[in-house]
Amino acid sequence: MELEEMKGLWENMSEELERQKLLTDKMVVQMTRQKYRDKLSQISLPETVGTVVCFAMAAYALFNFEKLDTWYLMLCGIISVAFCIVLPILSLRSIDRMKQINLGKNSYRETLIQYAKEKDRFVKVQKAGYYLGFVFSLAVLPVAGKLMRGKDLLLDAKLWIWYIPLALIFHFLFSKWVWKHYSSAAKGARNLLDELKD
Amino acid sequence: MIREHEGIIYKISRVYFDQEEDQKDLYQEIVYQLWRSFESFDDRSKWSTWMYRVALNTAISFLKKDKSKVKKVSSEGLDNFRMEPFDPVMEERIEWLYKSIQELSVVEKGIILLYLEGKRHEEIASITGFSTSNVGTRISRIKEKLKRQISN
Repeated sequence: MELEEMKGLWENMSEELERQKLLTDKMVVQMTRQKYRDKLSQISLPETVGTVVCFAMAAYALFNFEKLDTWYLMLCGIISVAFCIVLPILSLRSIDRMKQINLGKNSYRETLIQYAKEKDRFVKVQKAGYYLGFVFSLAVLPVAGKLMRGKDLLLDAKLWIWYIPLALIFHFLFSKWVWKHYSSAAKGARNLLDELKD
Repeated sequence: MIREHEGIIYKISRVYFDQEEDQKDLYQEIVYQLWRSFESFDDRSKWSTWMYRVALNTAISFLKKDKSKVKKVSSEGLDNFRMEPFDPVMEERIEWLYKSIQELSVVEKGIILLYLEGKRHEEIASITGFSTSNVGTRISRIKEKLKRQISN
C-alpha cells in the first residue's frame, strides 16, 4: 500500500469517525473530573514513604552526630547522610521536571527532546543510585550500630567476614540486572536524540 | 470543541498504543489536558494547530509513565471505545494501517499522523517545530520505510 493509498483509507476512516460520535458533554466532564482526582492522588506511596524514611534517617544521624567518635565513623556518617538526602532530592526533581512540560506551548520536537533528555537523565540517576547503594550499604551499618547500640561494628571482624561477601554477591547480581535493564532504555533515548538532530 | 474533534483524539490514541486499555487511558488524558491547557490557547494560533500540539505532546508525556504504576482510571462511558466495525475487508485494512504506523519511530508517528490528516508541510512544521524542508525530507523517508515494510 502506497502512502497515497494509506491517505485515502485514512480519510474514509476519518469520515466514518465523524459519523460515530462517542462522547457526550457529560462524559467529557466525567473524564476530566476523574483525571483531576487521579492527578491529586498521583504522588505514589512508595516514593513518598521512601523520601520520608530517608529524611528521617538523615535527621536522626545528624542530631546524634557527636556519638560518632572516630574519624571513620564520621566518614561513614557523612556518606550515609549525603546518600539519604541527595537521592530522594534527585528523584523528586526528576518528577518535578516531568510536570514542567508546557503541553500547550511546546512543539512536538521540543517535547520529544525533553522526553529523551529526561529519560537519559533518569537512567543515569537510577544507575548511580544502584551503584552508590553498595557504598551506602557498607557505610550505614557501622553508623546504625554506633547510634542505636553504642557499638563500633567496624571493629567486629566476624560481622564483616560474612557481611562484605554477601553484600558483594547481592550487588554484583543486582548490578548485572540494572545494567541489562537500563542499557536498552539509554540506547532508546540516544537514538531518539540522534533522530531529532537530522 | 473537544467533542467536535473526538475523532482526532481517537486516532492519536490508536497510533501511539496498540493495547486498548492504554488507548483508553491516553484518550482520557488528552481530553483532560485539552480542558486543563485551554487557558494557554492563544487566539492567534488556529484551534486545530493548538489541539494537535496538546494531543501529541500529551501522547509523548504519556510514554514516560510506567504503565504498571499508572492507576487504571474507570473508563465509564468509554466501554464502546472502538468504533463500530466497518466491513471485514475495510476493518482489516485499517488494522494493518495502524500496525504499519506503530512500527515507525515516535518522531515519525507524529509527522505521518499529521500528513494523513491532510495537513500541509507548513502546518506540520508549525505543529511539530521542525522546519518545512525537514518535514518534507522526513515524509520522503517515511514513504521509503513503509515501502520496505510492505516488501518485507
